[in-house]
Amino acid sequence: MSVIGRKVVVRKIAAACLAFAVIAVSAAGCSPSGKGEAVSSAQPASSEAASQGASSQADSAAPGEYDFKSEKPVTFSLMFSDNPGYPLKNDWKLWDAIKDATNVTLDVMVVPMASYNDKRSVLIASGDAPEIIPKTYPGQEVPFIPSGQILAVSDLADKMPNYSSEVKAWNLQSDVNTLLQKNGKYYVLPELHESFNVDYSLCVRTDILKKNSIAMPESWDDVYSVLKKLKELYPDVTPFSDRWQLGALLQIAGPGFCKTNTGLKTAGADWNSGSTFYYDKDQDQFVFYPTMEEYKTELSYFSKLVKEGLLDKESATQSDDQAKSKFENGKSFMITTNSQEMNDLRTKMDAILGEGKYEVAKTNIPAGPAGANLVGTRLENGIMLTKKAQEDPNFETLLKFVDWLWYSKEGETLAKWGIEGETYTVKDGKYTLNEGYTCPAYGLNPDAKDAKDLRKDLGFGCGVFILTAGGPNELAYSMMNDEEKAFIENVNKTRTLLPSAPTILYDEDQREAQNLLVQPVMDYVNQMSYKFILGQTDIDTGWDAYVQQCKTKGSEKYTETANSVYQESKKAQ
Amino acid sequence: MKESASYRVFRVFNAILLLIVVAVTLFPLLNVVAKSFSDMKYIASNAVTFYPKGFNLKTYRLIMSDSMFWIDYKNTVVYTVVGTFINLFMTTIFAYALSVPRLMGRKFFTGLAVFTMFFNGGMIPNYLLVRNLGMRNTLWAVVVPGAISAFNLIVMRTFFEGLPRELEEAAAIDGMGTYGIVAHIVLPLSKPILATMTLFYAVGMWNTWFGPFLYLDRPEAFPVSLYLRNIIAGASQASGTDADALGEVASNVKAVTIVLTALPIICVYPFLQKYFVQGMTLGSVKG
Repeated sequence: MSVIGRKVVVRKIAAACLAFAVIAVSAAGCSPSGKGEAVSSAQPASSEAASQGASSQADSAAPGEYDFKSEKPVTFSLMFSDNPGYPLKNDWKLWDAIKDATNVTLDVMVVPMASYNDKRSVLIASGDAPEIIPKTYPGQEVPFIPSGQILAVSDLADKMPNYSSEVKAWNLQSDVNTLLQKNGKYYVLPELHESFNVDYSLCVRTDILKKNSIAMPESWDDVYSVLKKLKELYPDVTPFSDRWQLGALLQIAGPGFCKTNTGLKTAGADWNSGSTFYYDKDQDQFVFYPTMEEYKTELSYFSKLVKEGLLDKESATQSDDQAKSKFENGKSFMITTNSQEMNDLRTKMDAILGEGKYEVAKTNIPAGPAGANLVGTRLENGIMLTKKAQEDPNFETLLKFVDWLWYSKEGETLAKWGIEGETYTVKDGKYTLNEGYTCPAYGLNPDAKDAKDLRKDLGFGCGVFILTAGGPNELAYSMMNDEEKAFIENVNKTRTLLPSAPTILYDEDQREAQNLLVQPVMDYVNQMSYKFILGQTDIDTGWDAYVQQCKTKGSEKYTETANSVYQESKKAQ
Repeated sequence: MKESASYRVFRVFNAILLLIVVAVTLFPLLNVVAKSFSDMKYIASNAVTFYPKGFNLKTYRLIMSDSMFWIDYKNTVVYTVVGTFINLFMTTIFAYALSVPRLMGRKFFTGLAVFTMFFNGGMIPNYLLVRNLGMRNTLWAVVVPGAISAFNLIVMRTFFEGLPRELEEAAAIDGMGTYGIVAHIVLPLSKPILATMTLFYAVGMWNTWFGPFLYLDRPEAFPVSLYLRNIIAGASQASGTDADALGEVASNVKAVTIVLTALPIICVYPFLQKYFVQGMTLGSVKG
């Protein structure tokens, strides 16, 4: 054959080899790696020398007063949720402060806050997650349990004196028990509040109330009469135009009507967060709240407000900005709010209406026909520990460190306020930010010029390490202004926090089956709730059909299963 | 040829309709640009429509003084240049090989490429693959996965098939090898498709954020699209404390970041849009 022919043959062979190589490489990419395969249940570390390298108070100190300092310098890895409002800087004073106090350096893996949940899932599933994973909300740890990658922290609580002493002293055991899984363990270390912190309530134009000698409402009946009076005085204004598409409003109203959270699910947020039952303590059983008479009363109340033109129909659909804009421009007088939103409202209204030309305040949580109740938990987002932590030779030190930073008064104060004498001073339980430092986000020294921002420049007050209003009371109140403090104290004084419902200990399959079953029912409930409130379906004539539909969709089966699992697990314990 | 009356009516209606579409499309863009130059006060009271109120450059100065923004901007440029080059190179040689009729296993390789258009390994297997190949936290994690877009591949292959075989045969007779043919005959004739593909890939690489988010851990390595996403997307958790802290990143900051990130692409588009239009139809007609 000619030269061309031989070249073709050579080329064909080369091509075949290359093709083979491509297949081989792609096959190699599929081969499983050794790590992360064995699914084993977490066992507390027992092999390493106890208290290696860690010195801590031996027996008893006051809750949250166990201190800690590692004998030798150690490094632990941590997943950090980066808030773009104050992005992480490597030269933050926070890192040095932690190092000076504990001899611990943190190897931080930065994840943008917006993608924190996704990245966390990927890293845990692949076995690459760092040892300490904060900002985990109770419930978020559940999908990771079967992978064996996160530790059953309930087994480790006895090695964490600050955490356990605080749970005991602040009566949080029943709250902590809501985190239990079927195997009797829990997998996330929740952050703790000594006092229940109420954040969401109704915000009202107190200057208009005062002008017309109207008293602040204390119950939902009061709210109705206040709105009615306002409508009479200002017939062109719909006095209550709500935000969060009524989801938060129903959540606030739930305790007073149904003794449970009855929030709605909206496009923007889930104010219901999986709440489906009212736990009847006397009967020791769970009742499906959407078909209760009390829920009908609640919906009828709001439907009356809408019918009489007191609650703006558009509340169900308008965006938060639209609702806020109406309130800020004086086109409505009541809106649901939380403490941080109050700051924002005031700033905007200063600009729009003018400082001093208006006054706003939060109402007490309105009492309802079921009582002056509060429903909620004193637990907040917490920390997961991964298998990597257990394999760390300094595991015991790691536990003590986590215990100190998030659960000891000293650690929490350092993370929140910084260095005493330098960034802040405390006198008689009152904390002040020193001159030269500012933190406008918390309203501290907001007008200081040329001051260092506590969060942006120094890293203190960072959401990964602190709670805005959690921990021991003194610390919780330290950053609140007097108004907030008075509000919380008043609420806690005049309202009763209902005890948390017991946990229904499903196993994995049961939980999945229940979730699948209840989803369409709750979607229907959500939909009909809006219809009833907006008057699209008359509540008196349509209620029975609605209850029937719920039952057809499976609400009774769901409730029965829940109650039987609950009774069984009670017997087993 | 004289236009009939009905045709003239059509033209008028057509023009009006298209103007409406233009206005509807343009308004959000103008709104964002206007917000970026406006004072916070007017944005809060929804007073800004499509021209700035309370014109100021404060926010621009604020963003431009954030060193992380510029570092990420530089990263985007690097990723785009390197990524586009790699993408283009890989796609061209694959497409050309597939376009040769006598390739052994041609159907198989084409099928392989098309298969990836429909089936994906999923987020975690992809992550494991990249990690096991040691590409995590490097430039390669951004530019290599997804280097060949199956869609672009098919378009290029069709184009190459459309080139006359006779040219290649003539060159072969004169003693040119395969690589010579590609370099001296095929590529010079493929300028339109190469230009189009460069543009497609460049825009894709400029905007990509998911790969970098997944495979990169250090903020200094992020492209500016990820920086932007973090500011705009907001907190994915329910906590009131963090979500409201995020609200401090005011809407004018978001607007400014959007403008600065999109600006280069918007500037380049008018000059290259004719290639885009050409490119859309290039792969479709054979012979």
